[in-house]
Amino acid sequence: MAFVQRRDGRAALLYLVPAGIILLALLAYPIYQLVVISLYDYGQPQASGAAPLVFLGLDNYATLLGDPQFWDVLATTIVFAAVCVAGTMLVGTALAVLASRARRVPRMLLFLAALGAWATPTIAGSYVWLFLFDQDFGLVNEVFAGLGLGGMRGHSWTFDRYSAFGLVAGEIIWCSFPFVLVTMYAGITAIPREVIEAAALDGASARRTATSVILPILRPILMIATIQSIIWDFKVFTQIYVMTNGGGVAGQNLVLNVYAYQKAFAGEEYGLGAAIGVVMTVLLLLVTALYVRAQRGVR
Amino acid sequence: MRIRRTLVVAALGVLAIACAPPQASNDSPQRTASAGATVGATTGELRVWLFQEPTNGPKEAVVDEATAEFEKAHPGVTVNVEYLPVDTRASRFNGAFNDPASAPDVAEFGNTDLAGYTASNGFADLTDDIKAWPDSADLVPSVLRTATVDGRTYGIPWFTGTRALYYRTDVFDELGLKPPKTLAELTETARKIRTAKPDLYGIATGGKSQYSFLPYIWANGGDVAEQDGDTWKSTVDSKQARAGLRQYAELIHDDICPPSACAQLTGSQSVSAFAGGKAAMTIGGDFNRAAIDAGAVKGRYAVVPLPGVRSGSIAPAFAGGNLLGVFRSSDRYTLSLEFVKLLGGKEYQEKMFTAMGNMPTFTDVQNRVAKDDEFLAPFIRTAQAGTRFVPSTPAWTKIDAGGVLPTAVQQVATGQLDVDAATSAAAAQMNEAFGS
Amino acid sequence: MRRGQLVVDAVCVVIALVVAFPLYWMVLAALKPAGELRSASPVTLAPTVDSFRRVLDVENFGLYFVNSLVVAVAVVVLSLLVSFLSAVALTRFRFRGRTVLVVMLLVAQMVPVEALTIPLFFLMRSFGEVVPAVGLNRLGSLVVVHLAFSLPFAIWLLRGFVAAVPEELEEAAALDGASRFRFTWQVLFPLVAPGLVAASVVSFIHAWNDFLFAKTFLISGTENRTLPLGLLVFFKPEEQDWGAIMAGSTLMTVPVLVFFLIVQRHLVSGMAGAVKG
Repeated sequence: MAFVQRRDGRAALLYLVPAGIILLALLAYPIYQLVVISLYDYGQPQASGAAPLVFLGLDNYATLLGDPQFWDVLATTIVFAAVCVAGTMLVGTALAVLASRARRVPRMLLFLAALGAWATPTIAGSYVWLFLFDQDFGLVNEVFAGLGLGGMRGHSWTFDRYSAFGLVAGEIIWCSFPFVLVTMYAGITAIPREVIEAAALDGASARRTATSVILPILRPILMIATIQSIIWDFKVFTQIYVMTNGGGVAGQNLVLNVYAYQKAFAGEEYGLGAAIGVVMTVLLLLVTALYVRAQRGVR
Repeated sequence: MRIRRTLVVAALGVLAIACAPPQASNDSPQRTASAGATVGATTGELRVWLFQEPTNGPKEAVVDEATAEFEKAHPGVTVNVEYLPVDTRASRFNGAFNDPASAPDVAEFGNTDLAGYTASNGFADLTDDIKAWPDSADLVPSVLRTATVDGRTYGIPWFTGTRALYYRTDVFDELGLKPPKTLAELTETARKIRTAKPDLYGIATGGKSQYSFLPYIWANGGDVAEQDGDTWKSTVDSKQARAGLRQYAELIHDDICPPSACAQLTGSQSVSAFAGGKAAMTIGGDFNRAAIDAGAVKGRYAVVPLPGVRSGSIAPAFAGGNLLGVFRSSDRYTLSLEFVKLLGGKEYQEKMFTAMGNMPTFTDVQNRVAKDDEFLAPFIRTAQAGTRFVPSTPAWTKIDAGGVLPTAVQQVATGQLDVDAATSAAAAQMNEAFGS
Repeated sequence: MRRGQLVVDAVCVVIALVVAFPLYWMVLAALKPAGELRSASPVTLAPTVDSFRRVLDVENFGLYFVNSLVVAVAVVVLSLLVSFLSAVALTRFRFRGRTVLVVMLLVAQMVPVEALTIPLFFLMRSFGEVVPAVGLNRLGSLVVVHLAFSLPFAIWLLRGFVAAVPEELEEAAALDGASRFRFTWQVLFPLVAPGLVAASVVSFIHAWNDFLFAKTFLISGTENRTLPLGLLVFFKPEEQDWGAIMAGSTLMTVPVLVFFLIVQRHLVSGMAGAVKG
């Protein structure tokens, strides 16, 4: 023990310096600047130096929070992210359990397929799903029509609000579940067999074993996977933007990041965009903190 | 402890220095040439940015010709041309404004982007030099206006594009129909066609085909916004504009072009639908000819100007097009202007027409090419009948990016809001952007 | 028991097929001739590389590909080194403020990246005046930025894995006379290799897929463009050129897939160790 404590401070500093410099310069400082920018009227003319900076204080935030569309989109984003996270966690965990029971070859196949889904760049994945469900060229409509549902020919999956969200959620779950699968699988296989056998010997049924023995052991892993999913799904941009053509009919499929893009960045209002960025980060923090607290409370 | 204190002091120091958002310095004064005088270097590398078209080969050939001619006439000068994908132009141009070291000397840019660029002091004011240029007298006035913001001209229109009504001659012949002479007739004709042929759209047009529905507003006597001194005010909620929007939204209806398929269509997608044989009419540009000829309807279509409200009138079309301008940060103002006058001049505009089908912006050149090519006639008639443009103010970029007008059309077409409510909401959003 | 096992295996295989199907369809559509794109046939009897040719015809495709690869590999290598050192510091050394740092790493992942483009643009411009290689219009700027964005997750992931290595090992090494430095690099590093692999996967994907920073930082000059920028011209669904879109998507996916396949064996054990922390 004495060895580990000696000269900890200085050695730690040395080891942390590379990451420290990079993170401070390229992450902390720009984030700080982001907050500063959100307090100004800062657009492209200001950035180019053609127009003077105007300090606005919290005006950008007032504009944002006073826009009823913002609250609409926020509610939509929370619900959509929740659905995606729940779906991803369910699919990933269920498949992890399945994989732990399967034999080597089927398991390898499943993992390879999952890796493929995970490896697909988001933009490529979005376009493939869009193509599969395309009105005229899509396989899905062709198959439905072939099965006798002639009315499905030319059906648009992206016109109806919920249908469009469902499609995007499908793609997101498809490309996100592998992370959960691999993580949960690692967790499940790490449980010592003795623990499960002991529970069986004590007379616990399979379900009881699952809920009272396995689940508590897996809880920390579940929490990590869920937090990561929440962070990623709350910030989703590419899939929505590509698959709903920029937010759907009359903006009915907008989520926060796409809303930010349209309202601020596409119109080059960087001050407002920065405000939205700050608000999004704070919201995510709140959501994550609430989730962690809820988990702690259960224990 | 000491380390900590130093860190805290250093952090406070950084905060103090960096307490304002970053800015480039782009307040370089406008360099103008008093008659005859040369501004800037006359040798060295001239950097040019042009847009990359899907089939770029012919364009590159013409530009190479111009480059060779220019280099021969100006020894010691090399012209370096870079082709940009159109989609990334916003970040490229903004990057160039924010970092003049990365900026080119000459650039091709869209006329709808000009107002935004002007607010960033991006392009040089060419007004006096263009006035002194003899050829400029032949530029189509309404097209030259698209290169002007607040009375100053920032580029030479390189080509223009207008839209007209494409229709299927075979379908019209079969049903005994004639091309519509008024907008109301157009709606009727479209309905008749779809009733007789339910698998065809009467007309392929969509909620996002902004430059197809603006003529409806203009033809009805309304406008998108008007300038009052220094401020702009939205007029989308005026009676005439509402009439135009209502008339257009009628087209996105189950009996003509069902909303489930058409509410999301952009102009290009509408043209693709027509080219694929799915519609009997569409509003397309002269620049869509290649796409339509590549489709199933080749040889079975004709074009007439989009009619207006009264019989025999033509609905004012949107004057699209690109300009050639000189970057304000350029060190070679006069040389750049010479290049712009060459590439954007009559000779090379005609060559670009032959290579790419780009409509020239000089009246005499337009008439010359129309004589040789029947296809262009309705487009040139439309162009010369008087074209209109979007509000020349930076706020328009914001309004366009937010899709304010397409949203209104989509809301009406899908029945979410009636015309009055949708236009009032749109007007409110526009006025907020205008700051009025 | 046997029948139950068979059912489990069968379900596994079926699900694997369903999950892999979109990828299969992507490659298939890229190989189908234009006329067949609409058909629902699961195979094509006349595969053609036409779509690929159109995409590869993009000027300088090879160069863009190499640029993307260079950036991604540089990010992975640097990120592994830096995050390893940081993970060691955070888990093995005791010092104040450790928890704060860990929480800050989590927060760093929450900021939406699009919002940071403007501050980073000006930052890179300033850097470029001092060290040209990391300035605007250079690949170095992309490497440095992606390194910064991948570090929080990598450090977070590696923490658990480093923590799982028992302290007794370190003590034993010290007793044998090994310096801390030697221990860290000769013993600890190989032990956490699978965890490094897991972290490198995420870093690679981030850097490879990036389009936003490439288009923000690379303003003039074509020689430094990366692949997504080059392929962008094809991703226009309105043109309905699905063949080219699928070909472009395939070309973008293949390198990542290859990378995954190379490291997949270590991936699971990497995650196992990472989540123990």
